[in-house]
Amino acid sequence: MLGSAKNAWKIHRLTTILLIPLIIYLFLKIIHFSGEPYVLILEELRSMWSILFILIFTVLGLIHMRVGVNEILEDYIHDESVKKIINFLISSFFLLILIFVCLSMWLILIF
Amino acid sequence: MVQFNLPNNSKLTDGDYYKLEAENKSIKKFKIYRWSPEDDKNPRMDTYEIDIDDCGPMVLDAVMKIKNEVDTSLTFRRSCREGICGSCAMNIDGTNTLACTKAISDVKGDIKIYPLPHMPVIKDLVTNLKNLYKQLKSIKPWLIKQKQEATDTENIQSRNDREKLDGLYECILCACCSTSCPSYWWNSDKYLGPAVLLQSYRWLQDSRDEERKERLKELDDTFKVYRCHTIMNCTQACPKGLNPAKAIAGIKQMIAQQ
Repeated sequence: MLGSAKNAWKIHRLTTILLIPLIIYLFLKIIHFSGEPYVLILEELRSMWSILFILIFTVLGLIHMRVGVNEILEDYIHDESVKKIINFLISSFFLLILIFVCLSMWLILIF
Repeated sequence: MVQFNLPNNSKLTDGDYYKLEAENKSIKKFKIYRWSPEDDKNPRMDTYEIDIDDCGPMVLDAVMKIKNEVDTSLTFRRSCREGICGSCAMNIDGTNTLACTKAISDVKGDIKIYPLPHMPVIKDLVTNLKNLYKQLKSIKPWLIKQKQEATDTENIQSRNDREKLDGLYECILCACCSTSCPSYWWNSDKYLGPAVLLQSYRWLQDSRDEERKERLKELDDTFKVYRCHTIMNCTQACPKGLNPAKAIAGIKQMIAQQ
């Protein structure tokens, strides 16, 4: 999926490291905006920084999850054809999540 | 798919009970896994009562006493009885270890002894280690020099380079680590396992070896190394106090830096 086993291992570690500060930032933001009015939160979500953050967070998170799930498949599913089908289904599911996030961002921007 | 349940012919049954006739307060019960390919019976757990005042201090002493005095059909491997050969590796009190270095007094209550987990059993406590030896051979556990004439001269090594082999060369290949690793249980056909990877790292670290690049190239595979998920059972199980998990991390680092 990601070329050599070395690349998959590197990408998994790299995305882990990158996600740590992003998750901390996300939690701080949630705490900061808890109890604030809906309009203010919507305004914040419309800023370029928020859109960029959500997109980066989603892409990194999905890549991290995809590599992680692949590790589990390699561990426990030994039938290559079954593995291929599950891999396709999971990739499709993750692609749908990405489309859903992008669509949500677009709706927030236009309304 | 991975098989999570035991097949019917592997389910354990209660076996024979060998009671010690003499009145003694120092009786210890040894529950030992028994299975023979000579009949169609399921494996069983035989119980032996042993007077530990009339027995050596180690579990191997007790197992040998049982074979010599109680049940001569009990089958197990043993040789050096001092933790150097690795023959008497078995699962004692839930942990893979060497019977010759495991003290009876370290185990509270009855002592349960099984063969090394998730390995094909040949008989009783003897497991088939063919796959492990085949995997060991695949990593070429010997010094490789590019030029043939180099083998005719002394291979000089600095003290610092020699020190890099400490904690690696001591491995006796008892297989306690590999057979305690869940990743090795699920994928022992393709994942090399901690014992073989520790050996591999020993040759990767050897300053005299000239095959490092090729060795690392061989290891860069989805299964051979990367099935290790740092569970650390190997390090906990090693009866020699070595750290195979650290060696595997070292291999991953070397591959990443290539």
